[in-house]
Formats: sequence, C-alpha cells, structure tokens
Amino acid sequence: MKSLLKFIQIHRSIKQHATRFSLVVVILLFGLFMEAYMHDFNLVYITLFFVFSLAFSSGPIGVLNIGNLEADFLRKIRLFAHQEGKIPISITNNSKTTSWSVSLHNDDTILPLAKLEGESSKILHFPVTPDKRGKFTYGNFYFESKYPLSTAHLSKNIAQRYEGFVYPEPKGKSLAAFLQEEEMPYGEEKEFDGLRAYDGSQRLSHIHWASVAKGEMAVKIFTQETHTPKLAFDFHHAGSNDEARLSQLCLWVLECEKKHLPFSIQMPGKKLNSSKESIDDILQILSTY
Amino acid sequence: MTYFKSFQPTKFSPLALLDMAYIVILLPLLLMLKIPMLVFVFMVLTILFFKKTPAKNTLIMFVFIMGILALYLSLYGTFSFRGLSRLKLFLELLVYILIIVVSMQRLTRVINIYLLISPMLFLALSLFFYYGMYMLIYVVFEIFFLLWMILAHHMEGDVWEGFRSGMVMFMVSLPWVVVLFIFFPRISFEHASYGFKGENIQRMGHDGTMHLDSKALLVPSNRIVMEVGFDKDIPSSDLLYFRGSMLYIDKIDHWEPLPSYIKRENKMYYPTEGTNVDYKVTLYPTQKQWIYLLDMPSMTVRKSSLDRDLISTLEKPIKEPLHYAASSSLSLRFHDVLDSYTLQMSSAFSKEQNPLTYKEAQKLKTAYLSIEKRAKAIVTFFQDQSLTYSLKPEPLDINHSTDSFLFDTHQGYCVHFASSFVTMARMAGIPSRIVTGYKADLENSMKNYLAVKEKDAHAWAELYINEHWVRFETTATASSIEAQSQIQQLKESESQLSKSINLYLMYAKYQVETWILYYSNIRQLQLLQYAKENPKFIVTFVMSILALILFSFLVIAHFRRPKYSSETLKLLQPLLSALKKEGYLRKKEETLHQYFLRYLNDHPDKTAIKEVDRCYEQILYAGDDSKETKKELKLFIRKSLT
Repeated sequence: MKSLLKFIQIHRSIKQHATRFSLVVVILLFGLFMEAYMHDFNLVYITLFFVFSLAFSSGPIGVLNIGNLEADFLRKIRLFAHQEGKIPISITNNSKTTSWSVSLHNDDTILPLAKLEGESSKILHFPVTPDKRGKFTYGNFYFESKYPLSTAHLSKNIAQRYEGFVYPEPKGKSLAAFLQEEEMPYGEEKEFDGLRAYDGSQRLSHIHWASVAKGEMAVKIFTQETHTPKLAFDFHHAGSNDEARLSQLCLWVLECEKKHLPFSIQMPGKKLNSSKESIDDILQILSTY
Repeated sequence: MTYFKSFQPTKFSPLALLDMAYIVILLPLLLMLKIPMLVFVFMVLTILFFKKTPAKNTLIMFVFIMGILALYLSLYGTFSFRGLSRLKLFLELLVYILIIVVSMQRLTRVINIYLLISPMLFLALSLFFYYGMYMLIYVVFEIFFLLWMILAHHMEGDVWEGFRSGMVMFMVSLPWVVVLFIFFPRISFEHASYGFKGENIQRMGHDGTMHLDSKALLVPSNRIVMEVGFDKDIPSSDLLYFRGSMLYIDKIDHWEPLPSYIKRENKMYYPTEGTNVDYKVTLYPTQKQWIYLLDMPSMTVRKSSLDRDLISTLEKPIKEPLHYAASSSLSLRFHDVLDSYTLQMSSAFSKEQNPLTYKEAQKLKTAYLSIEKRAKAIVTFFQDQSLTYSLKPEPLDINHSTDSFLFDTHQGYCVHFASSFVTMARMAGIPSRIVTGYKADLENSMKNYLAVKEKDAHAWAELYINEHWVRFETTATASSIEAQSQIQQLKESESQLSKSINLYLMYAKYQVETWILYYSNIRQLQLLQYAKENPKFIVTFVMSILALILFSFLVIAHFRRPKYSSETLKLLQPLLSALKKEGYLRKKEETLHQYFLRYLNDHPDKTAIKEVDRCYEQILYAGDDSKETKKELKLFIRKSLT
C-alpha cells in the first residue's frame, strides 16, 4: 500500500508525451487487430495482446525509472557574461534499481545521464552561457527519458533553480598593461636576489635581458622590495562606457585575486576595498551595477 | 561469486542488437524462402560480415538488382496476376520485397525508423505462414526477444541488463495477456481469406469412394486426421467408429455413394439407443465435405447437414482445420424405415459378377429364414474361409472381386472384407451397404484425448435387419493377420517409449490448440456457461489468475533485485537496509568498516554488528571465503537484525 501511494505520488510528478513510436504501436495494434479479428486467428490475438500489454506496462516502468531521480545544485559558481560556465548538479537515484537512458534537459541544452545505479549519485556539469551580467536565475531543468520502449517521452521537472550572479565579462587591458601605463612600481629594489619568470606584470626595467638573449623571459627579484602602494582602480577611467568599465574592472579584480594583490576600486559614490570585502562581494557589486 | 562473474556486462552496438533481432525474426521465414532468395540473403549477410563501413551507392544498387533478380527467379512460373489471387503467394512477394528493402537500408549502416519497425512487420507476416503449437512458442519467444533487444538498446547495449528488464516487463504483461485472451470478445468469423484463394493442404485416407484395386486409398501414415476431446471418458475401443461416407453402388472395381441428384425420402430417424457421448473434434483439411461423427450421430453439427444415413456433410470442402462439437449415441444399430429407392439400391447385386458367392449365399438364404440368423451365418461363412488380413494382398480378379477374395486369394484388408460381405449379404437377401470412415485406436489416446490417424481409415458393413441398420465389423472375420504386415508395422512403429512421449506431446499439443490456438467465441460462451453452472469453477479460475499474478510478481522481484559486486555484500544487504531505516545513511566514500564503527559509537551494546564487521573484514581483506566464516557472518547478521 505504501509502495502504491509512493508510486501514485511519483506518477503525479511525471509528464508523459507520445512519440512517433507510439503512433507506430497504434498502427501496429490496429493492423494486428484487423488481422486477428477478421481472421479469427489466435496467434495474432496473442501477439496483439502482448504488444498492447507491453505498451501499457511500459508506462509504469518508465515512471519508476525516472521518478526516483532527484537533482541538487551543489554550489554557486562564478559565471561571467558571454562566457560558458558549468553549473555542477548532483543527480541522486533514490531507487534500489538502476535508472537507464535518462538525460537532463533545460530549454536549450541536453546532457545525457545514461546509466545511474540504484542508491547512488552522479555529478553533472551543466553548461551555461549567460548573455548579460546581473542577478541570474537558471531553471526549467527536467529529466527526460524514453525508457523503456521509446513510445513516450517521460519528463520530471526539477523544482530547484540555480540562483546566483553573472559577473561582467572580464575583458579589456591586462593588469600588466595597466601598470605599465601608470608607471606604477611594484616595489623598490634594494639588493639583487635572483631571477624569476616574467609573467607580464613586472616593470620593463626589471627584465633580465641577459636571460632574454638566451631565450628565457626572466625578471630580477630583490631581497628588499617595498610593497607597492595599493592598486587603485577608478571606475570612470576604466573604459569608455559603463559595460566596458565593468568588464575592465572585473578583469583586473580577477588578475589581482590571482596575484594576491590588494586593490581598491573607486566606484561612483562608493569605494570598494579588497581588504574589507571579499572578491565575490566586489564582483557581485560590479555585476549588479 | 562465479555466478556474478559469469555475467559480466556484454555490450553490443545498436546495429548488432538490430541484426540479432532480424536473425531471430527471419528464422521461420527463411524456411519458406525459395532458393534464389536464400542465396540473396546469404550474399547480403556475407557483404555485411566483411564490410564494416557504410556501403556506397553502387553496392546498394548492385544489391537491389540482385534482390530483384532473386525475387524474379523465386517466383518464376508461379507468379502472375492470377497467382496474386493466392494469399500466401502475395504475402511471399511482400516478404521478398521487405527483405530487399531492409538489406539495402542495412548496408547503409544507418538505423532509421523503417529498419526499426521492419522486424515487427516480418513477425506479422510470418503469422500468415505458420500456425501451430511450435509457432505459438516461437512467437512468444520472438516477442520477448524483440523486447529484450529494445531494452538492451536503451541500456547502452548491455544484454544482461536488457534480459533482466525484459523479464520484468514480460512478466508484468503476462497476466494481462492471459486475461485479455480469455475475455476479449470475439466474433466467430471463419478464417478470412480476404478474397484470396486457399492453399491445397489435405489429409488422405478417405475420399468418398472405395476402390478394390491398386487405386485404393491405403495410407498407413501416422499423420493425424482429427483430434477428439471427449467431455467424459473415452468409449471402449469397439465403439470408436467414425462415420464418413455411405456406399451403395458396386461399380465392379469400386463402390460409390448414391448419386446426389436422387432425392430420397426426407425422413430422419435419430438414434436413441446406446449411451450418449459429447465430444469436440478438430478435423484437419481434407478438401472433402464429410465430417466424421461417432456411430451413431444423435444430433446435427452446426453448419452441417445430417442425411438419413447419418452421414454429415458441409456445403463446402474443408480447407482449413475445422472444429465442431458433436453428440452421438454409442450403438451398433439404429432404427430406419427404408424407402423403396434405398431398399432397391441396398439390395442390388450382379450374380454373374460373383457366381460362386451367389451360390453360397443362396444356400444360406434357404437354410436361414430369419434375417438375423442369416447375417450370423454369413459371418460364420467368412470365418470358415480362412481369410487373412493383409495390407499387401495378392491382386484380386477385379471383375469377380468377391469370388476372388473368398475363394481364391483369401487375402485382403478392410475394403475387401466389407465389399465381399455386403455383396454376399445382398445376394442372401439382406439389404446392406458399406460405411467408410475411421476406426480409432485407443493406443493413440490419453485421458479424454483421442488422435485419429490416416492409418485408421476403415470400411465396414451395415446390414438392414428388423428395421434397423446394424454395424458389422467385417475384418473381424479374418482368421489371421499376415505376418509380413505385422513385421512391416513393427518396423514402422516406434519404440514404446518414443510412442508414449509422442502421445504426451500430442496430448499437450491438443490441449494448447484447443484452449489457445482454436479458442473462439464458442469456447468463451462454453466457459461462461460452465462458470454459471459451477460456482466452484469461478473460484478456481480467480485463484489461478491470482496464482499467475503471484508467479509473475516473484519473477519480477527476482529480476528487479539489485546486483551486488560480491556475495558478501549481498548477504549484508538486510543489515544495511535496517541501519538505513534507523537513519544511518552511509556517507560517500565511507568504508563499511567506518560505517559500522560510526553506528557502534552510538550503540556500543550492539556487539553482533562488531562481529559482522570482523567477519566482513576477514572475508574481504584476509581472503577467507570459507563456508564457516560465511556461516558465521550470516549468523551475526541474523543476530544484529533481531
């Protein structure tokens, strides 16, 4: 009884749509019916009843195949406008039996799940390319399967939606270029200490030309370097329009994060400071500007 | 462990699965393909075996041309617009065309909807060609196999998983199929020919005439002519006479029935003597109009006519297996008042034809005034002639067949005995006639089932005595049976064991045919009527359906149970489920040992689980898979659960 109630509950959550194979089955049933009924031919009757019963029983079996699946968005990820990101989704099969031939859909993407064994889960990375920055809600996810006989599309909606922010598309001048332009030294050299690989952000005067001649891009490092005064980016000087500025700032923020450089951004009427706000908070402010 | 190892996933590509489905579906149809088409199929298979890439258009065109050529050669001479009127030839043409089309599509290695649905079309077409118990078994297998392949396709080509799921679906469907089969309303249409002409299949042994020379239809074959299911017990051997045709006219070398244009007095005397028996007959195609009823038929069979000689005929020759229910009064005589024509025809003889017999008959006529005694005297005369029953008698002098048989060769089989007996009876002044039909052998029976074979074809005499037609078993007057015939029969006969097995198979086949293949609206009504009269039957029926559902459920449960990577894990499942129910979910990447420890931290008193953990570790890591350890593990699992 409990199982039946559970099945009814699952059944209600599943939508079924006929496929072209269901039309084939209908035509086949009609043909067999004509052959059997007019011919009084029990072998055909038996075939007819088997086809009918199998088509009929494929419904509940398909429902059980897909009905026990559940999806959960694992965590928030950083999504950038016009760039493909992958939302991790954990798919769990709560049934004891394996689910077959299921795919995860939303309006424009299909991700095959194929086989998911009973009482196990699998993580899928759902690709998404947001077209604009800002608050981002991504939903309309559903499982779909044609199992077992391809006569019906069975789909189960996933109520949960992904909610997060899409940050501005990081593009513009690199941080190194910015520093070059600003002639902003990283530090003050006191005593030569060695060489390190050039990554584009160092001053040209620090380049170790002897290494360059040998084919290696290296820069000099010094034992005592006074830390560069904190990087200060200004919203108004970051680009020609708001979107360009936000994209530029986003790129610099990400580069600073990578190099562990503290920075500040002078936004209109507000100053963002990396020592006070987390990078994600700063990016969020940029995305919702 | 070996059980699980033996079922490692076996994966097949969609094309391989489709090929397997085609092989299984086409197998029965291959038996009916003509040689050119078989060669074509072999050619396509060879190309498919060696060519693993999509075929080019030139190759596909070549296959098409070869297919058309094979089709032409296969149907050469048999096919014309007139030939199209034969259903099976028309269907054969469809099968050939479908084979060519499927071959061409298969060579492209592209699976399209036509390639997917064609196996079902082949299956539907094969149902026209084969019918019977073996086909029934094969059709059910074909349906299961197709289902299996479809599911395996959905399961990434894993045939073992496909088989498990196939069994589940099949067993879910089975009770539905049974219920639908029994209750689905049928209209009793005869087998439709859709305007096509039937095929010429027939059973031999009886054709309505009786030849005395080499043209005699002596068919000592084991082919079954008809199968009879008695509602109660089978009557004794001496009562199993199935009437076929009635012969009155002696045409020297053969006997004939009365001409059909002669209108006899239409007066029926239904037999009332003897025990009444009800039975159902399945009569295979004879291409004749007679239907066979036990002596003496007491009612007219549906859609047939029963004449005053108690001979049953249909309007049209029997071209397909015929099923009828009949009722007879088991008696060797029945009352009749002869009209003048029948009396005349049943008394006609030529004394010039058989003068010696005539002479002897006159002696008996004079000696015995009572007809009854005279008839007995004829029997005694026959017995005194030392006649031998022989299936290969010396040829008779056909112009004087009775004299030759009684006074010269002394050898013959049923037709010679019956013919001579009737001739002599007529000469002795007793109206008589020959009945041809079948005398069933109880050796071919089981429970209430009786198979009548071609070799059971028989002829006997009926003498008109005291306003009754009385049956005389004329071959019973033989004083010996020829050894040669016996030896031959012994040679032909199978061993007792194989005969017995064969009979069991025939019985099973008959039951399947009666209740499945030839189940009809009549059977439905009979079942309903029986249920009305026997409320117990309803209970039995419902219980049977429930038993079937239970059986299906058990099979489903068996095939739906999860697969485990080891036998130990399988043993642990009840315990793991119990812990899960208690709310202890096993974490990701948590070993069983860690899982048990976590549980034991909260329940230190559960020492049995500690032991389970120990045994599990011992089996898994110490490689101890001895019976004792497993037994111990089972014991502690049981303790943990209690």
